[in-house]
Amino acid sequence: MKVFWEITKLSFQRQLSYRAATVAGLITNIFFGLLRASVLVALYNNREVVEGLSVQDIITYTGLTQAVIVYLSIFGSYDLMRSIHQGEIAGDLLKPLSLFTFWLAQDFGRAIAGFLLRGLSIMTIYALVFDITYPTSLAQWLALIVTLVLSWLISFAYRFLVNLSAFWSPDARGIGRFAFIIVMFFSGFLMPLRFFPDWVQTLAYFTPFPHMLNTVVEIYLGAVTGMELVKALLAQVAWAVALVIVCQLTLRLGTKRLVILGG
Amino acid sequence: MQHILGSYFRLLGAQVRSQLQYRASFILDVFSTAFFTITEFGALALVFTRFETIGGWTLAEVAFLYGLVELSFGLMDMFFAGFDPTFFGENIRKGSFDQLLLRPVPVIWQVLGSDLTLRRIGYVFLGLTIFVFAVHFSGLEWTLAKVVYLPFVIVGMVLFFGGLFMIGSSFTFWTVESVEAMNILTFGGSFLISYPMSIYQDWLRRIFTFVVPAIFLNYYPALYFLDKPDPFDFPFIAHFLAPVAGGIVFALALAFWKFGLGHYQSTGN
Repeated sequence: MKVFWEITKLSFQRQLSYRAATVAGLITNIFFGLLRASVLVALYNNREVVEGLSVQDIITYTGLTQAVIVYLSIFGSYDLMRSIHQGEIAGDLLKPLSLFTFWLAQDFGRAIAGFLLRGLSIMTIYALVFDITYPTSLAQWLALIVTLVLSWLISFAYRFLVNLSAFWSPDARGIGRFAFIIVMFFSGFLMPLRFFPDWVQTLAYFTPFPHMLNTVVEIYLGAVTGMELVKALLAQVAWAVALVIVCQLTLRLGTKRLVILGG
Repeated sequence: MQHILGSYFRLLGAQVRSQLQYRASFILDVFSTAFFTITEFGALALVFTRFETIGGWTLAEVAFLYGLVELSFGLMDMFFAGFDPTFFGENIRKGSFDQLLLRPVPVIWQVLGSDLTLRRIGYVFLGLTIFVFAVHFSGLEWTLAKVVYLPFVIVGMVLFFGGLFMIGSSFTFWTVESVEAMNILTFGGSFLISYPMSIYQDWLRRIFTFVVPAIFLNYYPALYFLDKPDPFDFPFIAHFLAPVAGGIVFALALAFWKFGLGHYQSTGN
């Protein structure tokens, strides 16, 4: 466990050192948030509430989705597949903790840094510029914390799994591109899922993607409450557990066929 | 000039051949490039089941803006790939840019020939598809003037975004790392002009009218093609400034590139 925190800490500190990139990223996220807010507000066309979301909610939604881009690595990550292709993974396999735990610890540090530097800053700027929605009760705040942790775990496990494709395919990058674009669509990143036709929503909920982002948004905005909220959190737990298990099994198969040439 | 163009096409030919070597990867790349556009535009089209218009524009009309930008940006991205600041910055960092300075062909043509991202054909094809959809469903009425003007609009956007790529690359002469803030103008700019400019707040639209003349690239031509009234009461000529706006940005980019090249000091590898 001590090793886990050490790796998390190192990874966190590494993120802190990219100062210029953080500022540039922040500006880009805010700019895109602003553009997407303009599009959604224009779609609303003076209607006050659509599918349970007010104009204020939808502006907040554009902030939230931009705020979690780094925290949840919405655009994907390709580090593990690179280390598999280049053979660096051999060194990682010798480490005194499992490959999964090692990358989990690293991603945890990265995610916390992204949450603080990018996520909180974006929401703070949004709060200053716009009239945004906030969770209204202590229970909702607590649920938000729980859902944020679970969504990160689901996102990590999914990205880990996608990266493992590098054990089998030299085109893992191309596979990854597809796999991460699907996330943007079905997680409710491009548009809130409840604006889609029912059949698309049904389809989405067969996948883990809504549990990565849409659930966070809906809990934050108070669009799911009571038993629905509990169910949403349980669904996240179920997907997190399932994906972690699939990761472990796939990893075992992958390492079996791994051949590293000494150099 | 013949010698220069000869070298340029030779370089491009080599690029094309090398990219087609890995057939499966190439096809996967083409599809994945197109796939993002499908999902982004698909998400927009799907929410139109709950909404009617964007700032008074129907889905087909927005598709006109969107498709034309995708198409033009894709073409630009293919031919100006050598100037993609990330790619170019890498060459500066590694010092491989210095090789180009030693060859007897103008640097600019060599950079243009240094990369051709053929997979962007996916972008171009999808942009074209969305554009055709837009033309069919928006009730656009073709006139001879519109047919003649259309290629100029595309060229205007290619020059505009190509110019932004060149400016971004020129910065790396000093910074070595690519300047991320340029992404706001290139990727942010292409997103921005994919929707009617009337939906943005006044200050934002003014910046993209008077500081960066992006409004003339796509929005004003679209008003003309779709016979829509101009909400900002600009002179009628505003509809036809697309190639001018693109040309000005490209000329400035060219000047900045030359200035940067004059100040280039190698990283010394």
